[in-house]
Amino acid sequence: MAVSLRRDRSGHRRRHSGLRRQARLIPVLPAVVLLLVFLAGPVLWAFHASFTNAALTGRNARSPGWIGFDNYARLLSDPMLPLSLGLTVLFVGGSAILGQNLLGLTLAVLMRRARRTVAAVVGTAVVAAWVLPEIVAAFAAYAYFSRDGTLNQLLGGLGLGQTDWLYSFPMVAILLANIWRGTAFSMLVYRAALNDIPGEVTEAALMDGARGWQRLAFITIPMIRGSIATNLMLITLQTLAVFTLIWVMTAGGPANASTTLPVLAYLEAFKFGDIGYGTAVASVLILIGVVFGAAYVRLLRESKP
Amino acid sequence: MTTTAGTSALGQLRSGTGAVSRARQRARIPADVSLILIGACFVLPLLWLVFASLDASAGHEARLPGRVSLDNFAAIMTPGLLFQPLWNSMVLSAGTAAVNLVAAVLAAYPLSRYQSRFNKPFMYTVLFGTCLPITAIMVPVYGLFVQLQLLDSMPATIFFMATTTLPMAIWMTKNFMDAVPVSLEEAAWVDGASGLTALRTIVLPLMRQGLGVVFIFVFIQAWGNFFVPFVLLLSEARQPAAVSIFSFFGQHGAVAYGQLAAFSILYSVPVLALYVIVAKGAGSSFALSGAVKG
Amino acid sequence: MRRALKITSLIAAAGFVLTACSPAAPEAETKTLKVVYQKTDSFTALDTLFQSAKQEFEAANQGVTVALEPIQANDDDYGTKLALAVRSPSTAPDVFYEDTFKVRSDVDAGYLLKLDSHLEGWKDWDTFDDGAKAAGLGDDGGTYAVPLGTDTRAIWYNKKVLAAAGVSVPWEPRTWQDILDTARKIKASDPTVVPFNMYAGKATGEGTVMQSFYELLYGTESELYDADAKKWVVGAPGFTDSLAFLKTLYDEKLAVSPAEALDANVWKKVFGEWLPQGKMGATVEGSYTPSFWQKGGSYEWAEYGQDMGVTAFPTQNGQAPGGVSMSGGWTLAVGAETKNPDLAFEFLATALNQKNSLAFNIASSQIAVRKDVAADAGYQAANPFVKDVSELVAVTHYRPATADYPRISAAVQEATEAVITGAKSPEQAAADYDTAVKGIVGEAKTVAE
Repeated sequence: MAVSLRRDRSGHRRRHSGLRRQARLIPVLPAVVLLLVFLAGPVLWAFHASFTNAALTGRNARSPGWIGFDNYARLLSDPMLPLSLGLTVLFVGGSAILGQNLLGLTLAVLMRRARRTVAAVVGTAVVAAWVLPEIVAAFAAYAYFSRDGTLNQLLGGLGLGQTDWLYSFPMVAILLANIWRGTAFSMLVYRAALNDIPGEVTEAALMDGARGWQRLAFITIPMIRGSIATNLMLITLQTLAVFTLIWVMTAGGPANASTTLPVLAYLEAFKFGDIGYGTAVASVLILIGVVFGAAYVRLLRESKP
Repeated sequence: MTTTAGTSALGQLRSGTGAVSRARQRARIPADVSLILIGACFVLPLLWLVFASLDASAGHEARLPGRVSLDNFAAIMTPGLLFQPLWNSMVLSAGTAAVNLVAAVLAAYPLSRYQSRFNKPFMYTVLFGTCLPITAIMVPVYGLFVQLQLLDSMPATIFFMATTTLPMAIWMTKNFMDAVPVSLEEAAWVDGASGLTALRTIVLPLMRQGLGVVFIFVFIQAWGNFFVPFVLLLSEARQPAAVSIFSFFGQHGAVAYGQLAAFSILYSVPVLALYVIVAKGAGSSFALSGAVKG
Repeated sequence: MRRALKITSLIAAAGFVLTACSPAAPEAETKTLKVVYQKTDSFTALDTLFQSAKQEFEAANQGVTVALEPIQANDDDYGTKLALAVRSPSTAPDVFYEDTFKVRSDVDAGYLLKLDSHLEGWKDWDTFDDGAKAAGLGDDGGTYAVPLGTDTRAIWYNKKVLAAAGVSVPWEPRTWQDILDTARKIKASDPTVVPFNMYAGKATGEGTVMQSFYELLYGTESELYDADAKKWVVGAPGFTDSLAFLKTLYDEKLAVSPAEALDANVWKKVFGEWLPQGKMGATVEGSYTPSFWQKGGSYEWAEYGQDMGVTAFPTQNGQAPGGVSMSGGWTLAVGAETKNPDLAFEFLATALNQKNSLAFNIASSQIAVRKDVAADAGYQAANPFVKDVSELVAVTHYRPATADYPRISAAVQEATEAVITGAKSPEQAAADYDTAVKGIVGEAKTVAE
């Protein structure tokens, strides 16, 4: 019925004037205006500002000048860039692609086997870390990893040495904190995906005597391939933009040992007042986002005819 | 090995589901144990929040308070410290969610109901917009706000925050709207009702659960947002809880961990409650699949 | 069926009403002056000053409202927030609290109003100390800011801790080596005590350079900036020596642990816990130190007058003039975009009159810049150290007053952080600093020593 109606209307539509047809799109306008002003605008402004020496204070604040590719040239020769890029890759790769993704899948698989109440309780705990406001989660993680925090208390209880995590291993602390914070998303995606697998498939495999990991590797994972790809893409993009967690826990320190690209852009633009250079860093981040975003859109297009 | 597997399979065939569930029962124990272990790791950092908030002399470690007291809560229950920031958060989040809902519903209707060459590229652009790292555009957004003299303005911040979640909201709303059969609108169209009338009288009431999900989804995101108001709202009187809690921590860093924890809890309760509503009402995986699967 | 829609539109409407209700534009009828300043839980003296100035000013100027907008943040974040606000005419304050080292770069940016014409008619201006007046100068020789007070820096030591380690008090170190010898002695006698702390790293911001690195650098033969040639000094041996001294302090655990040093709140522990509890031998801090311990301060400590001693920071090898101090201080400035420049200046003048200045200088242990305040008996008796720290003005230095300074300072802080964390050797960190300076000001504005 629905199909026939759609077809009918599209046939009907041809007789309408082009004006009428376009009038139907008017309701989209508010959204388009918002997106243009507040998303497309700043992105274009970022690319523009990254070619100037705009500053927060000093003479360049009054009249920023066009300096061409100077900011990018400086960025390429800045030892902070490889460091920061490396840390960003480590952060995204370690906490999102490996950590959240694998742990989320593990949780989802385990939850299908475990008792319902256990699954529900554990699921709530995992989701709680995700639903909390990011600043609260960041404080909780800060307290957990701090010198006299819960982790050291536990290690001490086990008779193990205590470490100043945020100082000696800032990236480890941040990686673990981001896994803690973000795994819920992957878990929910995979639970939904696993629920879509027809019961007979797993049942049949069980009867064939396939062992747990075999079922997982040869049946389950190929079946949720699409969800895995989507999830990987989304968590990569989310993790790429993480700022608050790092800012609260280490502020990029010590000695820049946890300065990922978003932190670097903030420091350069607001702390050192170099808006032009800061936006150059931000532009690099936006470009990385664009590449992943384009890949994601392509992926979805291919999975749908 | 094969034989045992074969017989057990045979046994399962004979006794039907009973054997399968017994096999499952056995498989459950290791799954239960591993789940509980992982769950414990997730709870640990949160324990500190709860314990510290009830402990008048809290430090960083999670320990049961020697004497349970509500002193921390009492200390922060002042208009300037708690209520004003929470009210600001409320205004920001409700405003953001409302703008989102209106813009997303309006945009989703033509996209869902009329075929057009415009639809596909628009939806892919929107999808692409969900991927933009918002932290990366904060520096330029600050510049834009300076130029337009919008710094420290609540409405402008609301519109910006609404825009950052708008792509996701449009995507979700369109999916929910696609699920409402077009046939129901047929009658209205035959009666000569315009598209928007049909939207208002027929489509929206049918997808109100979906709308609730979108509203809450956006609300939660806005409520937890720290970086955007941190950069765009400067005066103390307009700062939401996320920002005031940060300056609170910076100021009292060395002393008042208990109060920090108490504040954190009061600030988190509204979103936890909203999440439970969504999870109970619609199923979080349902909401999520609306968002993710497309 | 319609209820859902109604609810939705209600929520939407409520959202819009809420946003419309939130305060946005100042009323057109009464004139409002917006005053922005810093307030923290351990620094409320300025808030008190402005509250009293507001009352006084509003009583004298009917129809004018003074809107006080304190920013709760540490020095560094206050600087960022202020810079974000002054940049936009819609949020720029009429009167604000401005660090002396930012005056020139903010004048360059066009954020500050030139006050010369107003100062001419202000008779109090003559009572200001000439040296302090220089802090408000722009590159064009005009005055853009009026100082609230100034400060010096010295070694503050706990006599009990030193005595327990067998160090005779009063302690007067003559060289850097004296400091290390004493610190090692304290460490040997009680390993749980932090013998001699000096700030380092980016977290403590200007504190790192003002209360640590510059005391070292200005006591060597090198300098940061060649004021005559107007060029920044690179390749300075004194720079490397200073970093090496910090490295020794931190490597031998004579200072706090690097992890503690990189906590932005470390100074609160220094004032609030370590020194009063006898867990720290000495630290380099400002003349405002008593403000934390005196009655009404954030970390009241009744015995600080007897327990603490103060002495000048020595030069590297005891060379003349035998001591080093740094001076900074804060000013009040008027925003360039203010719609009521006369009223704004009048408010500034009210805030800085004799009565308010006196109260503020006492409450925050500032060194007075008004001669009538400096001569006041109440000021001189405000704390036991007023005389000692005021004498240090003879050996004090000021930060280079140039627009580039804030970025150079950040590069210095970066170098100290790299050294105390062991990420770089002093030589490497100094070389990277040189590169950074050339990148900031351009090779032409540097001079190799």
